[in-house]
Amino acid sequence: MIGDVFNWLTDPSHWTSTAFDTGIWDQLLAHIGFTLIALAISLVIALPLGLWIGHTGKATWIISVANAARALPTVGVLVLLVVIIAPHFYGRTNNGYLIPTEIVLVLLAVPPILSNTYAGVQNVEPSVRDAAFGMGMTGPQVLFRVELPNSLPLIFSGFRSATLQVIATATIAAYVTLGGLGRFIYDGLAQQDYPQMISGGLLVAALALIADLLLALVQRYTVSRGITGRTRRQDRGSRGPDSRTAVLTEELVSEAT
Amino acid sequence: MKTKLVALAAVATALTMGVSGCGSSSSSSGSKGDGTIASQMIFGGPPEFKTRPDGIPGLKKNYDVSFGKYTVTDVGGPVTVNALKRGQVDAADLFTTDPSIAANDFVILEDPKSNFAAQNVVPIITKSKATDGVKQVINGIQGKLTTEVLGGLLGKVVNDKADPADVAKGFLSDNGLDTTGTAAKGQSLTVGSANFPENVILGEIYAQALEAQGATISKKMNIGARPKYWESLKQGSIDLFPEYTGSILVYIDKNSTATSPDDVYAALGKALPSNLVALDQADAQDSDAIVVTKETADKFKLKTIADLAKKG
Repeated sequence: MIGDVFNWLTDPSHWTSTAFDTGIWDQLLAHIGFTLIALAISLVIALPLGLWIGHTGKATWIISVANAARALPTVGVLVLLVVIIAPHFYGRTNNGYLIPTEIVLVLLAVPPILSNTYAGVQNVEPSVRDAAFGMGMTGPQVLFRVELPNSLPLIFSGFRSATLQVIATATIAAYVTLGGLGRFIYDGLAQQDYPQMISGGLLVAALALIADLLLALVQRYTVSRGITGRTRRQDRGSRGPDSRTAVLTEELVSEAT
Repeated sequence: MKTKLVALAAVATALTMGVSGCGSSSSSSGSKGDGTIASQMIFGGPPEFKTRPDGIPGLKKNYDVSFGKYTVTDVGGPVTVNALKRGQVDAADLFTTDPSIAANDFVILEDPKSNFAAQNVVPIITKSKATDGVKQVINGIQGKLTTEVLGGLLGKVVNDKADPADVAKGFLSDNGLDTTGTAAKGQSLTVGSANFPENVILGEIYAQALEAQGATISKKMNIGARPKYWESLKQGSIDLFPEYTGSILVYIDKNSTATSPDDVYAALGKALPSNLVALDQADAQDSDAIVVTKETADKFKLKTIADLAKKG
């Protein structure tokens, strides 16, 4: 079986598309497409909302509601939305199936981003926040210069888990006529072509791992060195003007403890 | 701080670029083809239809029909119907008794070369119970069962949520088959059915007609799929079962190559175990069919599957 999977994955004809069959490269692009749309919409919704709730402490019930929404059965919601939405689209368009799929993926991605953003902002040291206000910073300044940078590690972890979930779940697009890597899993099962099915699963897992690795890299270079503690020792003597924020945060933290 | 913002902005830009890139890639369709009508069409069907011998490979072999593109929908279900109705696909694989075919004015393309094996409705009965009277009653029903009639009955159950037993009763009285008599007097039979609406309706029809003719009937409806009921039928704990010629033949004899209704029926007669016998097959078929919308059929003057291979 392992040999069959290897043969399936290394067969060049499975990678390129013909008029009739869509190959791995195009399904991979489609899968990444579904994922990026869902993550972009989720970020636009969840990030500002999480920051606002965390900063003001208002409407925290939204966090509970979002977390409760995680319990929604994804496939059930998808089929329901397809039945409602798809008949409104005519002609060659896939939108009748794409929109329900994206709604379902966004429902999946919003809770982790939202609750982690909220938790990140909420958990910034009160003394750090007080110090920022004490320096005469305005509310938005405190949010964007102190709270946001300090909560980035948590926001990233929320975004990364959302990314993994969306990549894994985007396979259900194949359930409603769309492409993506789920196509190989779904078709492989129906055609009793198990090497194809397993290969599909492996490709999804590989995509998820690579995406997480890339996000880990982005996180490494966006999160303040003052928070991660990375390269602190070597840098201590020769700080440029750019690391002022880091110094500030760092000193504030050490004062607080 | 600035570098962080720049990095965040870069991530955001990458996301939006990905989004716009995706929009364009999903609209690529490959329909250069060889100029036939089929080559300009998108076909919708279940995943296995793409590789099944009587699916896309069979259409190519028997009719030289190759579709431009294949969109995987579902197994003759609502997704396929919606995709065909809304024009996402031009031709689709549905089942001949599907009530949505008539409801949407879809056209079934004829299959003169029997690419799809015949699936005529056929009652399988225990030989010792098949008296002349019982045969007469059941064969009388078989003569009235056409695909349209069966589709209509199924529509009442699936769309209007009617009870299969009531639908069966209505069919019998509409066709004058509910007259009481003594043709099956003294016989006692167990009638079974599989667990899908159409088969339950058929089981009810047989059961009620025999009951009206004086037989003692016990019903075992909604049993399940073939592996679940076939043994009981063979061993005689069920006496009468509505079947489909092609499916039951292939179930008994995997190497069967018969496809036309008469060939399949003849082969089934030979393949059945000695204690079982097939009564008359009905005109009604529940098989796969290539279906197009009325507009498509009119536009390309399509009547049979072979017409799809003409130059469009």
